[in-house]
Amino acid sequence: MRIDYRIERPIDLHAAFDVAGFTVLLGASGEGKSLLLRAIAGLTPAHGEPFGGTAPQHRAVGYLPQGYALFPHLNAWQNVAFALRGAQQRAQAMALLERVHMAEFAERYPGTLSGGQQQRVALARALARRPQLLLLDEPTSALDPVTRDDVVAELIGEVHEFGIPALAVSHDPQLAAVADRLVLMHGRRIIQIGSPADVYARPVNGAAARLLGLRNVHRGRIEASAGRWRLLWPEGGVAVPIDGRADRAMEVDWMIDPDAIRLLDTAVASPDVVRATVEVRHAMGRATQWGLRCGQGRLWVSAPSERAVPDTVAVHLPVEAIRWWQREA
Amino acid sequence: MSVSKRQHGLPALVSTLTLLLLAAPFVGLLLSTRWRAFGFAEGDGNAIAVSLGYSALALVLIIALGTPLAWWLARHRVRGVWLIDALLLLALLTPPLALGLLLTSMYGPYGPAGSLLERAGLVLTNSAAAFVMAQFYTALPYYVIAARAAFEAVPRELEQIALTLGHSPWRSFVHVSLPLARVGLAAAIALAWVRALGEFGAVLIVAYYPQGIPVKLWVNLQNIGLGAVYPLLWVFFLVAMPLPLVLGLAARRRRLI
Repeated sequence: MRIDYRIERPIDLHAAFDVAGFTVLLGASGEGKSLLLRAIAGLTPAHGEPFGGTAPQHRAVGYLPQGYALFPHLNAWQNVAFALRGAQQRAQAMALLERVHMAEFAERYPGTLSGGQQQRVALARALARRPQLLLLDEPTSALDPVTRDDVVAELIGEVHEFGIPALAVSHDPQLAAVADRLVLMHGRRIIQIGSPADVYARPVNGAAARLLGLRNVHRGRIEASAGRWRLLWPEGGVAVPIDGRADRAMEVDWMIDPDAIRLLDTAVASPDVVRATVEVRHAMGRATQWGLRCGQGRLWVSAPSERAVPDTVAVHLPVEAIRWWQREA
Repeated sequence: MSVSKRQHGLPALVSTLTLLLLAAPFVGLLLSTRWRAFGFAEGDGNAIAVSLGYSALALVLIIALGTPLAWWLARHRVRGVWLIDALLLLALLTPPLALGLLLTSMYGPYGPAGSLLERAGLVLTNSAAAFVMAQFYTALPYYVIAARAAFEAVPRELEQIALTLGHSPWRSFVHVSLPLARVGLAAAIALAWVRALGEFGAVLIVAYYPQGIPVKLWVNLQNIGLGAVYPLLWVFFLVAMPLPLVLGLAARRRRLI
């Protein structure tokens, strides 16, 4: 489904992209993502398609706001039945709760349900309206971190099962990673669209890389020194020689994969070797990421968990693993 | 432990004292009533009927006109809202006796609105309509202010969700706003009822007749003496209390209203 909306107030925003399957619009807070969803639902003035110009009660959208907004004075099945009319209300509501595996909680009031359970009731309620499009505002923000991956898997499974295109807006890179389609928003513009695999593999710029939650994205400068090109990272006090890969000076965002960085003995001295001190240790199963302090900056380095790392280390930044994007003025 | 005991002890002590102060006049009433000679003055029964019947009518009018205003004030940010706030405060501040005088100057036989209405057959002096009008004016601002706060406490998002679920704004109001505001609205109705029923000053000026309980209490005092006041006062409490009491209790339970 093609979304094309323009909002003028309270902020100026234009967004046009296709929603297919479970689509995530990823953007930082304050980009106007929630506002865009409200505009599509007809709750804030805007121009656009689909549904443009119709009252919210006539738009076939299922809108799940942040926190899900279940009616506190109604129990689970009454919440679902709220969107239904006719004598079969209760039976239909129960059937929908069954489909989201919440039938046993039908008599419970929202206040007694967990975040994930509330989300499923809200999903059933939104589906009861027979929407052509589901809108989910930060669907992971109210979830318990321990169970969130399972809840998200369940949510995506249900969205696929019902076969309704869903647009989730989020600033959560973990949600972006499981989408069918990923749309990145920065500076109130769409900057990249694609499958998560493509987008993660080739972010279009530093802002995109930061949005995706990639580590080791820093500001820097490419400049010539004594006739040789180098990448300067002022924060870390590091200059990496990049001869043959640059031909003009510019301000850049640069990035290096934590897996590509090598830890060395502090005795090694070379221009692309940097001294650093261990700041934090992030154990992630077989690999551990080390947060290293370099000058004023931080580098994340991935290493096997069994490897012993002294407090002071030297790291080598292989030039072939570094990528950079020119910063827009 | 002694610290925590002291912490709980002081508020409890102050609360007890406050409650005793509150109860004192009624203890006085209990002691002063001559129970052996408990009897009613002529016209007391009629005063009870007048008070209950017309207060109920005034309450219906207050709810019918005050609820839309309260909701509108709670939901729309209008320019110059301070003027509306000032108007509501003005209505609250006006001493009842003065309000009666102002009502007379507007709706009395020589008032601009009164003379017009009288030609249309609606007499707003010493009539049932005048009685209801005086109660309406004194209790309305209390109702509007309390009901507005009740509506403001309803999350706007829930009303909007009702729209996205296919309900019209009216259905959203009836099925979401009203039930979620019910505790506050019940308090507002109770407040308006108590205020209307107990009104003396404005009613005295605008509608000496028909006589409701508050005016009749005064008439009894003037004509007969204190002994004729207490029995009617007991009945007043008896008939005025149930509505606010039941409203308060019911609203706190789920889905009773």
